[in-house]
Amino acid sequence: MTRGYHDIGGDAAGPIPIVELPWLHWEKQVEAIRNLLGDGTRRMMSLDELRRGFESFGEDKYRTLSFYRRRIEAMIDVLIEKEVFTREELDAAIADARARWEPSPPCRS
Amino acid sequence: MSGHDHTHDHDHDAHEPLVIEDEAGNIEGQILADALQTLLVERGLIAPGEVRREIERIESPGVHLGAKIVARAWVDDAYRERLLKDGKSAAAELGIGVGEAQLIVVENDAETHNLVCCTLCSCYPRSILGQPPAWYISKAYRARAVREPRAVLEEFGLAVPDDVRLLVHDSNADMRYLVLPRRPEGGEGLSEDQLAALVTRDCMIGVSVVAPVA
Amino acid sequence: MKPRFDAGDRVSVLELGKAGHIRTPFYVRHKSGVVLRRCGAFLNPEDLSVGNVGGPVVPLYRVGFAMTDLWDEYRGSPADMLCIELYDHWLTPAAPEGAG
Repeated sequence: MTRGYHDIGGDAAGPIPIVELPWLHWEKQVEAIRNLLGDGTRRMMSLDELRRGFESFGEDKYRTLSFYRRRIEAMIDVLIEKEVFTREELDAAIADARARWEPSPPCRS
Repeated sequence: MSGHDHTHDHDHDAHEPLVIEDEAGNIEGQILADALQTLLVERGLIAPGEVRREIERIESPGVHLGAKIVARAWVDDAYRERLLKDGKSAAAELGIGVGEAQLIVVENDAETHNLVCCTLCSCYPRSILGQPPAWYISKAYRARAVREPRAVLEEFGLAVPDDVRLLVHDSNADMRYLVLPRRPEGGEGLSEDQLAALVTRDCMIGVSVVAPVA
Repeated sequence: MKPRFDAGDRVSVLELGKAGHIRTPFYVRHKSGVVLRRCGAFLNPEDLSVGNVGGPVVPLYRVGFAMTDLWDEYRGSPADMLCIELYDHWLTPAAPEGAG
C-alpha cells in the first residue's frame, strides 16, 4: 500500500490548535507567485505540481516546515527541475536579498 | 515509521499540531520570497508590479462573500434551491466569482450537520472565504476531522446531538465546499444585510452554528 | 471517457499502488461506499503533477462512506457519513449492501 507522509486523514493527533494567525506579507507573496505561475497565460506550474513538490521533498522537511515554507520550498524545487533557474542562481539571489535585510535589522520595540 | 531513527528531529515531534514560524523563520521566509520574486522578474516570467496586484486580488475575498450567499439563500427559497444545485452559478448571480472548478453547498437542517475539511493539504473555498484559518491547515484538524468529528466539534464548543446525522466533507480534489448554516431563531424581522452580518466563517466551515438572535 | 457510475451505485475503492502525487487518501482504500453524484470530468491530478496537461479528462464522483465502515471504533451516529471525491480509475463496482 502506498501512503504519502502528507496523507494523514485518520491519524492520531493532539487537540486542535484553535488559533488565528495573521497572514504575513511573504506568505501572500508565495500564494501570489504560485497563482501567477499557474495562470492561463503562463501555465508553468499547476497546483498538483506544487503539491507533488512538497509531497516528495522528504518527510522531515514536511513535518518541520510551516505551511507557506513548504509551498515556497516546493515551488523552488519544481522551478529548478524545469530549469527556470539553477540552485546557484537562487543562492545568489538569496544572498542579495539577505544583504538588503542585514544592514538594518527590523526594529521591534 | 519504524526502521530508522529520526534522532536529529526529536524537537519537532510527530504530533506537532501546527508548525508556526518564529521571527527568524519569518525573516527567512521573506528573504526566500524576495529572492524568488526577483529571479522570476529578471527572467521576464513575471512583470514588475504583478505580484503586488495579485496580492491585492487575493486579499479582497473574505467571509462577507460567503455570508452574502448564505443570507440570500435564507430569504429566497428559489435561490436556495439553485444554490444547492449549482453553487458556482448561484454565486455568480450575486456577482461573486468562484475561481475553483465547482462550489458544492451543503445544507444544515434539523437532522443534518455538515463539516468541511481537507486531509491531504488545505483545500478551501478561498475565492469566497479568503485564506483558511491556521487551525484548518493544522495537522491535528486534517488528521482528526474525518475520524472523530464529534470530538473535534466539541473542542470548538459544538455538541452535535446523537440523533443528528453528521456529514464530513473531505475536499480532496476539484470541488470546494460551503456549509449553508441554519437560519437562526429570532431573526424573522431582520433584513438580508442584517442576516448576512450574523454569518461567521466558522459556521460556513461547519465548526460552529449561527447564534440565535436575542 | 464516459462515466461508469451514477448516483446510487455502490463502489469500492481500489489500491492502485501508485507512487507519486495522488488524491485518493489511504483511509478510503479498499472501502465501499455509495456514489452521491457525478461531478463532471477533470484532468487527472496524477498527470498534472508531472506537468502533463494534455489529458485525458477523468470522470469525478462524490462518494459517501458510512463512518462506521471506515473506523472500527467510530463514536457517533450510525448515519454519520464521510463524503469525498474520487476519480473513475480508482473505483470498481461493489456488491449491493448485504450481498456479501
